[in-house]
Amino acid sequence: MSTPVLEARDVSMVFGGLKALKNVSLQLEEGKILGLIGPNGAGKTTFFNCLTGLYTPTTGSVLLKGTTLPGDPAKVTTAGVARTFQNIRLFPSMTVLENVLVGRHVRMKQGPLASLFHGPAYRKGENAAKERSRELLEFVGLSGLEDELARNLPYGDQRRLEIARALATDPAVLLLDEPTAGMNPQETEAARQLIFAIRETGVSVVVIEHDIKFIFGLCDQVSVLVQGELLVEGTPDVVRGDPRVVEAYLGKPPDEVEAEVASVVEEQQHRGAQEGQA
Amino acid sequence: MNKVSNIVRPFARPLVLVGGVLLIVAALLPWATFVLNEGPYPDKATLQFFDAPFAVTGFRFHLLLLGLLVLIASFAPVPSRARVLRALGWGGLLVSVISGLFITIEGGGLGAITAADGATAFGALVGLVGGAAVILGAIALGVEPPAHWTLKLPTAAAYAVLVVVFVLVLLGVSLVLTAGGQGGAANPYAGPLFLAFLGFAAGAMAALSATGAIRFVSELSEKHRIFSVVVLLLCALLLPFTDAGSEYWMTVAANIGIYAATAIGLNIVVGLAGLLDLGYVAFMGIGALVAANFSGAAAAAFGVHLPFPVAAVIAAVVAGIFGAIVGSPTLRVRGDYLAIVTLAFGEIFTRSAQNNIGGLTNGANAIPGIPALSLFGADFNKSFTLGSIKLPAGVLYYVLIVLLVALVMTVFANLKFSRIGRAWIAIREDEDAARAMGIRTGQAKILAFLVGAMLAGLAGAVFAHKNGTVSYESFKFLESVTLLAAVILGGMGSIPGAVLGASLLFVLPEKLREFSEYRLLIFGLALVLIMRFRPQGLVPDRHRRAELADEDVGGAPVDEVHEVPGAVKEAKA
Repeated sequence: MSTPVLEARDVSMVFGGLKALKNVSLQLEEGKILGLIGPNGAGKTTFFNCLTGLYTPTTGSVLLKGTTLPGDPAKVTTAGVARTFQNIRLFPSMTVLENVLVGRHVRMKQGPLASLFHGPAYRKGENAAKERSRELLEFVGLSGLEDELARNLPYGDQRRLEIARALATDPAVLLLDEPTAGMNPQETEAARQLIFAIRETGVSVVVIEHDIKFIFGLCDQVSVLVQGELLVEGTPDVVRGDPRVVEAYLGKPPDEVEAEVASVVEEQQHRGAQEGQA
Repeated sequence: MNKVSNIVRPFARPLVLVGGVLLIVAALLPWATFVLNEGPYPDKATLQFFDAPFAVTGFRFHLLLLGLLVLIASFAPVPSRARVLRALGWGGLLVSVISGLFITIEGGGLGAITAADGATAFGALVGLVGGAAVILGAIALGVEPPAHWTLKLPTAAAYAVLVVVFVLVLLGVSLVLTAGGQGGAANPYAGPLFLAFLGFAAGAMAALSATGAIRFVSELSEKHRIFSVVVLLLCALLLPFTDAGSEYWMTVAANIGIYAATAIGLNIVVGLAGLLDLGYVAFMGIGALVAANFSGAAAAAFGVHLPFPVAAVIAAVVAGIFGAIVGSPTLRVRGDYLAIVTLAFGEIFTRSAQNNIGGLTNGANAIPGIPALSLFGADFNKSFTLGSIKLPAGVLYYVLIVLLVALVMTVFANLKFSRIGRAWIAIREDEDAARAMGIRTGQAKILAFLVGAMLAGLAGAVFAHKNGTVSYESFKFLESVTLLAAVILGGMGSIPGAVLGASLLFVLPEKLREFSEYRLLIFGLALVLIMRFRPQGLVPDRHRRAELADEDVGGAPVDEVHEVPGAVKEAKA
């Protein structure tokens, strides 16, 4: 088996007395979409922050193509892992094009002096960056909105712009934090198509989502985090059928719950009867 | 407001017309019931004409002009008519209020502008009512957004328009600069006359901006950027040939230029990178001290006299190093805490300089006797003859400082629209997101401090030679605050804004010398008002304008407030 493009090895994260992550290991194959699901408070976002260098794991490590990633978001991005945010974090008073150009920052070479003098090499680099940014805007479906301020875009477009900005860093892996939060079914479907298109370009994707249906319809691989531990991993079909997942997410199946309720009720009646007798 | 305008609506047009007529009448009425100034005074600056009817000079001429414009605008097909009228109304109101207040204070009561000692003088009140009537009528007409011209000009025509506009700007700057005359004891009316002129100019500029003309010209100049920059630079160099071409005005203009250059440097730190710096003027002080010490002055610590360009570069580098040192805590502290660090640095600088630590500052004695610059045998502080024209002393400094400002502007503009500038703006907008995009925020922030400090150091070096003396007194906390106020007042992140802000904040004290004890009070009030009504600054950066304009919904429309004169005009100084 080839080296996975992104790998987490025994990642644990402890905040004071709270063990947010317990030995989570995970592998993402190149050109695949991995879904990360789990109930609220399962440690999904903590895990995401470990992957992007915002947190340094207490133990364990994160590797990109076999190389350990440094614990600094800027360096992680430079290495080739880009992310979007759960609550959109664009640069609101920059234009759409400028937002993407900021994403291009790490792939541009111009230092302070070149930026000062605007020589021919500088202009070439700047034009290339603009070219690439326009391509990306077209790719996510925002062409024609280049000079609009990011803050003025509708919600769904802001999500797309965030993806374009992340793609501008030429990532090997793209991490999407709840990309369909707050979207209607049409927008969700468009997002799904967009993520497929991103995979087509050779970028591997990790998606955190609450929307299980969306994840099962999108991912090649799904991992389920529950209370900081990796509960199940596998293809959507495997995960969907796993009773532990259903239980973690939805509680126990209805007939089991009914049986449990019945037994509790029975016990109470029994106890009541006993007390009555006494 | 809505209720009032509903009641007024049927009378909107007559109200505007009556207001316009009242403004004209006010210009022809006497304004003061007593003689303000009895001695002979050669210039218009005397308030003699305050009590003489039909003497249509100075502010009364402006009022007459405003009144006529109101009448013309209410009949001629003017774009955004109500908005234009409202601006003109504000102009008339401001002129009347400022002049009226001054006469009231000088005359010791309301009798001065009504009737007393058998004399009547209702000019101020009539003007006030006229201005208010025009404003009210205009609002009732329904104020529409400013017009936007989509006129396309062939290149030659565009160039011609730009040249004409910039020459007008040049004349406007000269007019603003000299309005009211030189401040000081000899000319006690400079302050009020200047303020009244500002009121008029504000109204006129706001009206012009309402017609869409200013936007049209600024878009045109953006399209032909290089041509505009060259013409603007030429116009700036022509200022000595206008009315402002006396030694006094050249000195004032040069001082403004030095502070404008410094304000643009500060704009990198505050406006682009969003790092609040309350001790910025210390870098200018460092630059000035370095230049002073290498100038060959008797009190200098080093006996060497380096050529000015070398000394200026050393000054910039040393200031830059200090900038990087002060900037390094920015890796750890954010927002308010950073402001406190920079405040402390500014204070450390002042105290060290005051106590002559290291023997480099000569303490309270300052470093006097810094030789004036000279080039090809022409001393910068002497008058200068160009062919057959004799130019006043200080012209060469003015030219040097114009070039300095041009250099600083170029640095600012080039950096702003580059990879580095985008990184700074991204940090200002959302530091965490910027880091997630791979920007080394620590390095970028230190770089902002370094570049800002270098520009201030350079300005300081010029300051040292121009003034001939460097004392720690010139670089105190108040100066830092004034510079910061200039940046915020003008509009953060915008070059014309910084220049306009610096011009206003450093011209006003010059004009208001007689009122120096109220200076800070007036500053404070003006800042509060501008931040309330125009939070994005007078000439905002395009992005910031959009950002802050949104938040004003429900409040007064953002451009309600009279733009201060020469928004575009002084962009060049």
